[in-house]
Amino acid sequence: MINNIRYRALLLVTLLLAGASSSCNKWLDLKPQDGLVKQDYWKTKEQLDAAVSGCYASMLDGASLPLTKYMFIWGELRGDMTVSANDAAAGSTTTTLSTLTRDELDMQHTDLVSTNTLTNWDAFYEIINLCNNVIKYGPGVKGNDNTLTQAALNAYIGEARGIRGLMYFYLYRTFGEVPLKLEPTSSDSDIKPLAKSTKEQVYAQIISDLKYAADNTVISYGNIADDKGRINQYTAYTILADAYLWNEDYQNCIDACNKVINSGNYQIFPALTGQFTWYNSVYITGNSVESIFELQFYAQKLNPFYDMFVGNKSPKEFKAADYVVNGDLFGTDLLDAFNHDIRGSNTSMSEGTGAILKFNLASTASTTYQHWFLYRYSDVLLMKAEALTWLSPGNVTNSTAAINIVNQIRTARHALAVVGNTSINVPDPTITLDVSNYIFNERAREFAFEGKRWFDILRNAKRNNYANINILLNIVSASAQPDKQQSVINKYKDIRSHYLPIYTKEIQNNSLLVQNSFYQ
Amino acid sequence: MKTLLLKSFYLLMIGTLIGLQPVKAQTQSQAQQTTTIRGRVIDKKDKQSIIGASVVELDNNNRTVTGVSTDIDGNFAIKVSKITNQISVSFIGYKTFLTKAVGERRIINVQLEANANQMTEVAITGNRTVSNGTGLNIDARNSTMASSTINAKDLEELAVTSIDQALAGRLPGVDFGATSGDPGAGMSIRIRGTASITGSAEPLIVLDGLPYETTIPPDFNFGTADDVGYAQLLNISPSDIKDITVLKDAASTAVWGSKAANGVLLINTKRGITGSPIINYNLKASMSVQPKGIPMLDGNSYATLIPEEFMNATGAPLDFLGNAGQNKAFQYDPSDAFYYYNYGQNTNWLELITRKGFTQDHNISMSGGGEKAKYYASFGYLNQTGTTLGTDLTRITTKINLDYTVSSRLRFRTDLTYTHVNNTLNYDKSLRTVAYNKMPNMSPYLYDEYGNKTSAYFSPTSNIQGSYPDTYNPLALANTGLSHLSGERITPRFNIQYDILPSLLVSTVDLQFDINNLKSKTFLPQIATGKISTDNSVNLASDNDGDSYNVQSKVNFIYTPQLGEKHSLQALLSLQTEDSNSASYNATTGRTASAFLQDPSSPGINSLGLSSSQGESRNFGAVIQGQYVLLDRYILSLNARLDGNSKFGPNNRYGLFPGIAGRWRISGEPFLKKLTFLNELSLRLSYGEAGQAPDGSYYGTYTPLGWSYNGRASVVPDKVELSNLKWQTVIGKNVGFNLGIFNSRIKADVEFYQNTTKDLFFKDLSVANISGYNTIGLNIGTLQNSGWELGLNTIPIKTKNWIVGFDFNIAQNGNKLTSVSDFYPRESSLGVPGLGKFKSFLLVGNPFGSFYGFKYKGVYKDKDATIALDDAGKQISDANGNKVYMRYNYPAINYTFQPGDAVYEDINKDGNIDYRDLVYLGNGVPKFTGGFGPNITFMGALKISAFFSYRWGYQVINNVKITTTNMYGVNNQSTAVLRRWRNPGDVTDIPRALLGVGYNWLGSDRYVEEGSFVKLSAVTVRYNFPKSFLQKLKMNSLSMYLTGQNLLTLTNYTGQNPDVSTQGDNTPFSFPTDGGLTPPSITYTFGLTVGF
Repeated sequence: MINNIRYRALLLVTLLLAGASSSCNKWLDLKPQDGLVKQDYWKTKEQLDAAVSGCYASMLDGASLPLTKYMFIWGELRGDMTVSANDAAAGSTTTTLSTLTRDELDMQHTDLVSTNTLTNWDAFYEIINLCNNVIKYGPGVKGNDNTLTQAALNAYIGEARGIRGLMYFYLYRTFGEVPLKLEPTSSDSDIKPLAKSTKEQVYAQIISDLKYAADNTVISYGNIADDKGRINQYTAYTILADAYLWNEDYQNCIDACNKVINSGNYQIFPALTGQFTWYNSVYITGNSVESIFELQFYAQKLNPFYDMFVGNKSPKEFKAADYVVNGDLFGTDLLDAFNHDIRGSNTSMSEGTGAILKFNLASTASTTYQHWFLYRYSDVLLMKAEALTWLSPGNVTNSTAAINIVNQIRTARHALAVVGNTSINVPDPTITLDVSNYIFNERAREFAFEGKRWFDILRNAKRNNYANINILLNIVSASAQPDKQQSVINKYKDIRSHYLPIYTKEIQNNSLLVQNSFYQ
Repeated sequence: MKTLLLKSFYLLMIGTLIGLQPVKAQTQSQAQQTTTIRGRVIDKKDKQSIIGASVVELDNNNRTVTGVSTDIDGNFAIKVSKITNQISVSFIGYKTFLTKAVGERRIINVQLEANANQMTEVAITGNRTVSNGTGLNIDARNSTMASSTINAKDLEELAVTSIDQALAGRLPGVDFGATSGDPGAGMSIRIRGTASITGSAEPLIVLDGLPYETTIPPDFNFGTADDVGYAQLLNISPSDIKDITVLKDAASTAVWGSKAANGVLLINTKRGITGSPIINYNLKASMSVQPKGIPMLDGNSYATLIPEEFMNATGAPLDFLGNAGQNKAFQYDPSDAFYYYNYGQNTNWLELITRKGFTQDHNISMSGGGEKAKYYASFGYLNQTGTTLGTDLTRITTKINLDYTVSSRLRFRTDLTYTHVNNTLNYDKSLRTVAYNKMPNMSPYLYDEYGNKTSAYFSPTSNIQGSYPDTYNPLALANTGLSHLSGERITPRFNIQYDILPSLLVSTVDLQFDINNLKSKTFLPQIATGKISTDNSVNLASDNDGDSYNVQSKVNFIYTPQLGEKHSLQALLSLQTEDSNSASYNATTGRTASAFLQDPSSPGINSLGLSSSQGESRNFGAVIQGQYVLLDRYILSLNARLDGNSKFGPNNRYGLFPGIAGRWRISGEPFLKKLTFLNELSLRLSYGEAGQAPDGSYYGTYTPLGWSYNGRASVVPDKVELSNLKWQTVIGKNVGFNLGIFNSRIKADVEFYQNTTKDLFFKDLSVANISGYNTIGLNIGTLQNSGWELGLNTIPIKTKNWIVGFDFNIAQNGNKLTSVSDFYPRESSLGVPGLGKFKSFLLVGNPFGSFYGFKYKGVYKDKDATIALDDAGKQISDANGNKVYMRYNYPAINYTFQPGDAVYEDINKDGNIDYRDLVYLGNGVPKFTGGFGPNITFMGALKISAFFSYRWGYQVINNVKITTTNMYGVNNQSTAVLRRWRNPGDVTDIPRALLGVGYNWLGSDRYVEEGSFVKLSAVTVRYNFPKSFLQKLKMNSLSMYLTGQNLLTLTNYTGQNPDVSTQGDNTPFSFPTDGGLTPPSITYTFGLTVGF
């Protein structure tokens, strides 16, 4: 009897142990139920498509600040057209400024330190990581899904590389040297320190990414929203042209511009187009014939611009600088109210309030979904003009062609001949700097508040080894606080100060990263 | 899930089959031969026949074969299947009579004896055993564990609604965090400090031998809901509890695996005992009073202060028409009736939202049982109204514990617990703070433009204080806002015990299901915020649903061989599994059409959020444990646990955590036998490891974004795969002594311990953003936690009439990081910490808790006083001979101090107050904490007990003082600011009022105070009615008591309540900050216990 029971007990224990150990490992392998795990992803072309779409969709957002807000701030705040709306009120304000508004003021006053949260590049590297994911894991999909053709795969990879190129181009223009992270972070083993690459390496990577995109993406997606909202061949050439221009590679820039121009896909609204018609189609509705690349906000994903420019907070975050409001940029015809630049008051900003209107004329907090305009056709034309001017300085044919491009746009926009107290004269084509400034000044009107001003200033200042640095010094000293003007000018004579410091957190958490020398 | 259920079911089946088979075989073989036995049952004393006594045939295993009951004359006749079986005769109120084997007897007359004294005997005899809950029953005197136990008797007099409140201060080394005092709010429990710097530091609760979940699953996405609402998940009715044991050292907690690294609270509930039914009724009725807080300015003084702040800050008088007309609040112009009346009041907002709180707690329980079956059933009803308007709690608890003995070898138990909770809180938990800050000249109700008071709440969209959520009408929010939590929790549990080899090898199988459904609804009405109708926070409604389902199984084999007098051995093999599922759902909408449409599904409104989540995790544990005792003096205990957890990657999924503990009973040695006064002297040593699993899964996940791009679905990787994540391991070492002298009239327990946490988890460690992520979870370093504890129980007086006892406990604990990742920050903030902030540093190897700031030296009385002085005390001049004035943080801020500004000590005498002038101000870690109290019993009937808790030798930052005296904003201030500096020459300790500018309230020793206190936590007077009186009333027991809680605090602290512990995560940068505006409420309780 006892033996019998002993035997049974033993059997029970054995059974239990055997059952537990064999199935235990399987039992403990438990995947999360409300999300796909990495191991199950990258199996079908639909997943690949959704991942590429995720790169674009994420550009509508951002970790600490929306990506488009960084694009605006980096491109405008150190320029002369946008000011923090808290600035004027600073003397009398009774509320303490938030960290963000304080940092905005500091950047506007060119009073930059590495703790300024606006030097945080997280939104850009977040997109870069998403692109890296597609670039690394996308090709694996082909092995699992036979319906994915090589050409389609290359097109997807091309889109990802195009976006990555654009992101690095922003970082390159803003920081100079940055770490080139080209592998995705998919597990904690990928969190490793990474040193900065040289400017040359970053530039080479940008060109290589954009060339790949230009060679592999489609010519058209077959619908307007995707053609304007995703990277196609011409989008890639446009960004490429911008990068070439930045690095003073004029012939390549002209070639890239010509690809876009010769496609015949884009045009400028004709002269005498009414202001509202033009404003409405280009900025409010978006995806117009003038558009090349726009980030497609929509009713379910609102843009951040309402709070930045219009919102019911008082004061607003940003507004147009006084000289723009006073008519010294677009001009006012006191005798004929109908004679005005269609890009001026009530398009770019309001002369009455100084509010920036480009992105929100009639929108409310719940209908603010105008697009963010990365590139418009006029940009390609003016880039070509600028490249022509500097391709072989003094060449009258090229300069005349450049002047003609500017004039074409001026006519289409009904630009005024007299702005403030100065009349705008067509420059002498033999004086290269005058032609260049003619383009530079027109760009200010054409791309007001589109996040391009500072890059235009810096590009023109640094050309030919900072031959024209005064263009920058005049501008920064005008926007500096009066008591700090001299120190700001001295600071900006050091060309290293034209790039932002690396955010403290990055220096702390990446042992190989060295602060940009000016800020050490 | 299914597989687990099936598996558990098989286990049960196997267990049952093995148990039943031999029995079945026997009954079949004996079926034919039956014998009839007759007899009569009478009372031994009065020889009267007993009617209805049960007469039962029992087999070898004491299993019931057949049974009859006696007739009106006490006669019975029973057919017995086997003459080797015995007959048992039992009746309620009598001792059970056993006949032994029937043999050749055919007539058996039985005299039953009344068992009046039997029960009390049972209760007194028998050694108290302690257990780590796994199943081994170890005599308390042989325990190798560092543990403390508290019996329900000690707790039942307190007006507590949950166990955590009752235990506060009563156990050495167990620290209870402050509670908000709102109904349903919970406490944080810390055993021996915390062993982690993020993640849960709460101990594991083991209820009747199986872990009991007390936290809300991390997957629950409860949106805006208030997290204190979930603390009452631990809602076992205190009167159902038999005892609570705290396991402290790693060697004893290790058997509970990954959740037990922060210590274990073992809770046993009451079970039925043999005897006639006992019905008990407990009543607790209490009243809570909110003591007066700090005195605040009234409307008139406030309306003087604010314009003065403006004047000092801007140099110009307040423009009454400026600021979009909002400054009119200070104009007091009778011709503008709207402002004159609506902003010309003296409103005490706090009084308006405060009331007396009442609690009634009823509990009825019934217990009893016979030879075969025992039961304990209870029903509780609690209703509590909080001291703040709009807060209440209703709770219904029921519990049924059943024990059934099938045979002497097979027993089963089944327990069922059900709890229903209804808890209402204020929409905003900072309601009281807003009431303190709210401008006192504002009216709670609207006056119309003719100066007539209306019944509508006065809720302007915004006024000078801002708009919702910064400020609102607190009375309107308390009355009309809603945050309601309701929950149902059912915990059925099954247990089978089978003696495979009687008194040698016992097996138990446990299966517990835990079904917990919660619903939280919130509503923010427009009439409380005054927001304009297009704003999304107008009539904001949310509905959150969270369900969790948890299955646990435990299979134990306990081996207790008979090794003779000198040795004894117990060994345990335990296999445990747990599978937790949770799902949640959340919907939020704004702008419902009216304040009566409080459901987010109301049509035609603006949807703000719709989310759901689902999660599952599993773990598996195999425990081996053994305890060997030699000569009753040398005790050795060994254990090891193998843990597997689904949250880890395949490389680190399993962890093995060993433990060893020993006890040497020195008093048992022959050479100490002569010391007769010495009852017990033991030395205990232990070493143990325990692993802890992180919150989430290691898997990297891809998640769809909440929006699309041109209509295409978008998916992004939102979480990095954590393939390197390892078990966070606590290595605990403990040395303890037990001493008992003079018939155990003096008992002392001393413990010294050191817990080292290896591979600390850090959930949101900041990483370089170039990775594409801001933070990830990593193992980052090693934390050391060490200290000592002393518990003392004494009975100094014990006479026939008097018993006087005195208990005392004291403990000390400290934390330090001994190694940490380079990514982990070394300072709490960069540079000067800023207004109202203090600075702390991480110094690897140094204890936590120190904070730094400026030295406050009063107020600059005039311009001359602001001239900088050098080392020798001479005024500093610059190269041109001009006087140099004191500055703040040159060159970054470069503010020149003005007369009336705060003076900070210029430590380095450079005329500039900056980070170089920061000095050590204090340390928030107490040198000692603990409690003590006497208990006096007179004639066994009148009992008086008191309990004091204390905390000694630590500094607290009085944050209330910061916010109520800074005169920096437009919030109401305390009456202390009436002393403020106003004119040159004023000598005072309160600087001038400055709206939004200046540096008058930098973190300085002005706000740092010694926090040491002794608090009279509770006093109870209890009267037990004497037996003679009770017999007349046919009652079993009757007692009444009165308790007062939080009656008195002795302290030098000038704030409201020095009993604050560090809130939130236990980081090197945290220190205790007192933000409490009112001291804890004083509660008086009347209680009644009746037993039949």
